[in-house]
Amino acid sequence: MGVAQALALERFLEGKGLAKKPGATLLTGSGAKLLRASDLAPVPSTPVSSLLATLPALDAILSGGLPDRRLIELVGRRSAGRFSIALAALACATARGIDAALVDLGDQLDPQAAEAAGVDLARLLWVRPRRVKDALGAAEMLVATGFRLVVAEMGLAPRGGRFVPDAAWVRLQRTAQTQGSTLLLFSPYRMSGIAADAVVSAGFPQPIWRGTGRAPRLLAGISSRVTLEKLGRETPNRSASMDLYVAEALSPFSRGSFSLSSRALTPFCHPERSEGSTLAFPKLMGQILRCSAPQDDKVMGDAPARALDCRLSTVD
Amino acid sequence: MRLVCLFIPLFPLAARLRSEPDLKGESVAVFEGNGNAARLLAATRKARQAGLETGMTLPQARAILPKLVARGRDRESERAAQEALLEIADSFSPRVEDGGEGVAYLDLEGLPGLYSLAPREGGEGQGEGGSVSPKTLNSTRSPERDLARQIIHSAEKVGLPARAGIAASKLAARVAAGLPDSPTVVPAGEEATFLAPLPLSRLTPALEIAQMLERWGLSSIGELAKLPEGEVASRLGETGRELHATACGIDPRPLEARLPPPCFSEGMDLEWPLLSLEPFLFVGRAALNRLLARLESQALACTRLELLLKLDPDGCDARAIELPAPTRDAKTLVTLVRLELEARPPGSPIVGFLFTARPDRPRSAQLSLFGPAALSPDRLATTIARLASMLGADRIGSPRAVDGQRPERYTITSFAPSPPPALALPPQSGRGLLSVRVLRPPVALEVITDSRQSTVDSRQSEIAERGGRGDAETRGRGERPISLKSINSDGAFQITGTVKVAAGPWRMEEGWWTSDPADRDYWDIELSDGALYRVYRDRVSGSWFADGIYD
Repeated sequence: MGVAQALALERFLEGKGLAKKPGATLLTGSGAKLLRASDLAPVPSTPVSSLLATLPALDAILSGGLPDRRLIELVGRRSAGRFSIALAALACATARGIDAALVDLGDQLDPQAAEAAGVDLARLLWVRPRRVKDALGAAEMLVATGFRLVVAEMGLAPRGGRFVPDAAWVRLQRTAQTQGSTLLLFSPYRMSGIAADAVVSAGFPQPIWRGTGRAPRLLAGISSRVTLEKLGRETPNRSASMDLYVAEALSPFSRGSFSLSSRALTPFCHPERSEGSTLAFPKLMGQILRCSAPQDDKVMGDAPARALDCRLSTVD
Repeated sequence: MRLVCLFIPLFPLAARLRSEPDLKGESVAVFEGNGNAARLLAATRKARQAGLETGMTLPQARAILPKLVARGRDRESERAAQEALLEIADSFSPRVEDGGEGVAYLDLEGLPGLYSLAPREGGEGQGEGGSVSPKTLNSTRSPERDLARQIIHSAEKVGLPARAGIAASKLAARVAAGLPDSPTVVPAGEEATFLAPLPLSRLTPALEIAQMLERWGLSSIGELAKLPEGEVASRLGETGRELHATACGIDPRPLEARLPPPCFSEGMDLEWPLLSLEPFLFVGRAALNRLLARLESQALACTRLELLLKLDPDGCDARAIELPAPTRDAKTLVTLVRLELEARPPGSPIVGFLFTARPDRPRSAQLSLFGPAALSPDRLATTIARLASMLGADRIGSPRAVDGQRPERYTITSFAPSPPPALALPPQSGRGLLSVRVLRPPVALEVITDSRQSTVDSRQSEIAERGGRGDAETRGRGERPISLKSINSDGAFQITGTVKVAAGPWRMEEGWWTSDPADRDYWDIELSDGALYRVYRDRVSGSWFADGIYD
């Protein structure tokens, strides 16, 4: 329809030029006027509450945390911190007694790392589909079941992800909206199209290494930048810096003694290097650490070291 | 003692119509036997009005009613219908006796008081207004009659047109249940009065004795009861004595309560062999619906579904589907059966089937006013069952940490979360830990290394020497990787690039005494594309693998 035709139709609906016809009381109210979709008043939606937190950086750009009833997509390349954000969201939800589900397309969850990140594994349902189609079906079923938080981690290189029809994503988004769930979608590239209520991208990661020159190199973490690219119909482009550290780097290794569960040290502590009461944990800043208690061989053997709570101190 | 007798008239036909409810309203007859020798057992009212009678052969019946829907006697349907009848009785009384062939007895002691205030679902006028005897017994309202109406209504809900009789003895209750004006209540102590005007055929005597009594000119039960007991016994023997006592309303048989069944079954013998899946699921879905309705009436759910297929010409195929949690969702069970049969087709046409459900109490959840909402156990069980059938039972569950050293270790258990806390906890941000994606299985790498010793290795050599070990053990650890490329990859996941930073190695050794030991040197690698990998060199084979990505 051309512009002239559209204007003529608008005049027609307003009743202009029809006064000569008797009884031509055509529609003249506001409801008869043709309006562009962009001129329409926004439809009042269900109030959104932010009840789930993830990481300070992400919470900041999302204005407090993950909103309810939303499909949120987080896009990032390898090592951008996607998986860490997923675990942080699961940790925050399960720590509050909320049952959560993880759809892990790549089968890449490390339960030990998840536990170290604070995830209550007893409240986590781990689903490991093999195909994108199965992952989407599982996510929809879990949302419909009533899980408050469903994390769909699409792996490193999901095959066929670009061929998922838009209707499937819209359906997922509608299901989350209806059931009051938060659906977090983690993908290496934009998959959900227009269906996502919010899109966050994680930028290029900057690894943080400790030690230079002849000193041993140790990975301490990564620094990345998360950007809110889309929120509803807006493109706020808010961004924040996000730092993620490996578990060992969080502890004050450099001085004094401290208590540390052996879980945080595995798999890099080994009895092979034990000498009396001295254990070598080269992962910990390349320093030799002294284990003050306990001294039982069984503890550091291949027998379960789970209960070990060493009192470690650095050795100069 | 007061008893209720539940009786299903024309039981073979009623069981058949329960399995095939679409036939209700049609001219249907159930035959026993094969071919032209098959004899009519029971027929619907429409068929009987057309002139069909019990004992007719199939050709005779067809001659009278060409459009007759003829069905063979289905023992499986009758057994399922009998179980359903007993379960209805179980839902009203703790003491139930299986009378066989559409008959069940309930102990009524104390029950009318319990049910007298309950709303009557069966309607006021149901079963009343009949033309047969004794009207006075049915004209008055009583808690017992209200209870009997509720029982009848419950039986009708599961597709069984039941009649009920209430009396102090099993015999009087059975005879009362046989009367068309249901329910019939026989007041306590008036059994003999109730039985007296009824014809002798109601006592179902043996044929010879019935003929003898007819020759004596006796036509009613009351006339037999008036005869001297000794004279009857001297002429008819012990059978005659029992028959005389019965006619007097004396029935010494106690109620023999049955034990609750360990499982629930529904099945059907098919009229024709089924070759494809969809027709089988069509009839199977109806059977599952009946099975689940029975479970629901007992407040139970299915925790294991067993399927027995009768194959043509002979043989059978047994399957069992374990459910992660008790469920009553028919759609889920049908989906599971479909997936099971698609995965392993039976290989022969199906001529009959039997579903057996192992019951269990469904999980219940207590809702919280102030805490997070708990998941509905029923919906959760259904979802888990469907996901397990879709993905495999080992692909869904709750992860658990495992003691050990290998990074790829994990175990998975069934998902059974504890109830949520009573009060909502405030949200807390995460700890900001960098996690590792585990690559299962590890990606084989082609690695170019630099043989120069790293500073870490010199430090480790120093440690080893302190421990009394020789320097030979640390030799070879300094093969610092400078370039990586994944090999044997399927193309979906590639690791390629030059190494910007490499940190390591860190030794990991586990299970050296087992057949599957792990002896690895680990490195943290930053590649030129900016990604961080955790790679290791297998010290036994010398091969390199990537088993994790920091992400």
